[in-house]
Amino acid sequence: MKVEIFNMPEGMNQMQLLADLSEKFSIVEDKTVTQNYTLYDTFDWRLFNEKLVLQHSNNILSVRALSSKKVIDRVPVTQPPGFVWDLPESVLQLRLASIIEMRKLLNLATVHVNSTTYRLLNKDAKTVVRLAIEELRLTPQTSKPASTTYVYLHQVRGYPKAANTLAQALQQLKLTPDKNSDIYFSIMAAAGKNPSAYSSKPQFEISAQMRADEATKIIMRSLIDIIRLNEPYVKQDVDTEFLHDFRVALRRTRSALSQIRAVFPAEVTVRFKQDLAHLGRLTNQLRDLDVYLLDKDTYKAMLPEILQDDIDPLFAMLQQQRAKALKDVIKGLNSKVYQNILRDWEVFLQEDTPESDSAPNAGRPIVDLAQERIYKRYRRIVKSGQAILANTEDELLHDLRIECKKLRYLLEFFNALFPAKKVKFLIRQLKVLQNNLGDFNDLCVQGEYLLNAAGSLPTSDPKSQKMMLAIGALVGTLDNERIRVKEEFAETFLEFVAPANKALFKQLFAPHKENK
Amino acid sequence: MTTLAIYSNKGGVGKTATAVNLAYLAAQAGYTTLLCDLDPQSSSTFYFRVKPKIKRAAQGFTKASKAIDKSIKGTDYENLDLLPADFTHRNLDITFNNLKHSKLRLTKVLVPFHKEYDLIMLDCPPTINILAENIFNTADNILVPLIPTTLSLRTHQQMLTFFKKNNYNKKNVYTFLSMVDRRKKLHKEITVNITNTFDGVLESVIPYLSHVEQMGLRREPVPAFAPNVAAAKAYRALWDEVETKIL
Repeated sequence: MKVEIFNMPEGMNQMQLLADLSEKFSIVEDKTVTQNYTLYDTFDWRLFNEKLVLQHSNNILSVRALSSKKVIDRVPVTQPPGFVWDLPESVLQLRLASIIEMRKLLNLATVHVNSTTYRLLNKDAKTVVRLAIEELRLTPQTSKPASTTYVYLHQVRGYPKAANTLAQALQQLKLTPDKNSDIYFSIMAAAGKNPSAYSSKPQFEISAQMRADEATKIIMRSLIDIIRLNEPYVKQDVDTEFLHDFRVALRRTRSALSQIRAVFPAEVTVRFKQDLAHLGRLTNQLRDLDVYLLDKDTYKAMLPEILQDDIDPLFAMLQQQRAKALKDVIKGLNSKVYQNILRDWEVFLQEDTPESDSAPNAGRPIVDLAQERIYKRYRRIVKSGQAILANTEDELLHDLRIECKKLRYLLEFFNALFPAKKVKFLIRQLKVLQNNLGDFNDLCVQGEYLLNAAGSLPTSDPKSQKMMLAIGALVGTLDNERIRVKEEFAETFLEFVAPANKALFKQLFAPHKENK
Repeated sequence: MTTLAIYSNKGGVGKTATAVNLAYLAAQAGYTTLLCDLDPQSSSTFYFRVKPKIKRAAQGFTKASKAIDKSIKGTDYENLDLLPADFTHRNLDITFNNLKHSKLRLTKVLVPFHKEYDLIMLDCPPTINILAENIFNTADNILVPLIPTTLSLRTHQQMLTFFKKNNYNKKNVYTFLSMVDRRKKLHKEITVNITNTFDGVLESVIPYLSHVEQMGLRREPVPAFAPNVAAAKAYRALWDEVETKIL
């Protein structure tokens, strides 16, 4: 049967409304039902970004679309959701797996719903309309509801006039028809959460004519925010992505310090380059181990079936090493050295940029410096890549990979200064080349790592011997893959330096004295 | 969707009390239920506090269905709707006779409601006439309350004979003992007699209890106003048996 939904105005409460209505109507209270549900999403709002809402209530996990009450999938569960691989095998799990990946689902808010139904009676004491008043709170005891209180008017079949009369009475009492905006937003607001506010890839808010030193500080401030936001979660080991975002932000900071040349006093740049490099190294071990452990299933799939389980002892060892590496990271992040370096860095970033130029590029418009650095970096890549075509040495490929990374960071820093679609296109082209070089690097490193690991493991018992076989098989497969990837370099590189791309790079970044 | 008629060719056997209480219990069990009050005495309508006034059904099947749609009222209870009685039902005999397919008219007008309801219950008047034949055609199953008296035995036999003569399916006729007074020796003897004579006799028995009479004062089904009394328990047992054996 039809339901009309109204919002109670600010400041009105249920008792008041009932008292007012009782003057005109005969109203009887029916029952009150309370229900709780908890909302979940990842730290980086992956579900929200896909317009999905995940809810846990009464041992049922359900997902619905934002702005719709209709449930898309549901599955019975015995515990609150955490990692997607711990969820029961179900359509819901499948749907969420590719979105959430390795991130942990975090508790955003628990909503306590208090719903009281009332019946309106006619002269024969027959129910002719039903009214349900729904209040939402974030804790059961709060006196004031967390969001607007909802009033549902349920028509009883065969009594249309009664429903209309009540609807009119409600509107006269200043209740307004609900605009059907999803209650999710008011709950988030009440819980102090800002959906989609965190992104590991923020837009840097700089403009073309800004002073270079000021623009660079703006970029760095965004990055230190990300570092600080992820830090506590890294220490609590919530999921592996917090460390990843932490490291990327740190890496980009160091890259900016090197690549956006001579915008700060030389001694500042030298000092922080050194210090931040030290901080970066603190977490290398842990991240390496995280990556191997995350890829465990991929490695196993590379092995012939008879050997797949025999590699398990290797991962058991990696897991142990990981536990130790985590302890070292926590120690490092809690150390005075770490805290002092970051505090000094933050103090530096908060300082006002000087009026006069403290470094050669400090006062230049950022767009000029950006174009210069990007184009220079691009030209260097073209040259290096062409040298590799002649002589495909592994070392040269690794160097090129680093060159590409520098260019990529530059393009991302200065995104806002150039036509968005064009930069996006170039970044996509660069990504293809980076993937090839990255894969090649990974395969080299992994092969070496496995051989190394094999060296430090016991070999006498049958289990270990089988594990060696498995490692050997893996090293072999990885090496074949490495060769294949290396062979793809030439084609990939030539596509990157194709005339169309070259022209676009030139158009956007080459010095055009005439076009300024 | 299934249609269950509560029928008896005798008055005062507890037919309406049965219809009201079973419809209520069905709705509580999750079946979306429509109770059609076909009795000009409009007792079930009264029990549910509804005014027994419907729009006059015009000629033609679709108009009749539309009129019914507009007349259906939601009761105070979730899942349970009521089609109120109207004294013109009394005239339905004549109306039916004047139309084609007069024995199938009730079936046809109820067709649009098959999608909406899991269960349609018919509270029937105590007649054997054209309306009754419509009911026998529409109902998937017929439930007959019997008071354990000698006359009841005879009347029920008459009904079954009528069924046989007109080729209605006897297999769908179920009975149960109603308004039983266990203190009376005669009631006990006849109960045994009935169980032995007829097929489809349900085990549940509805005793003669004051709470059932109170329905008229309270205007609510017994399990709604007194869920723990013997009468409520008896009807719940009857409903369980109906659900298992018949539906």
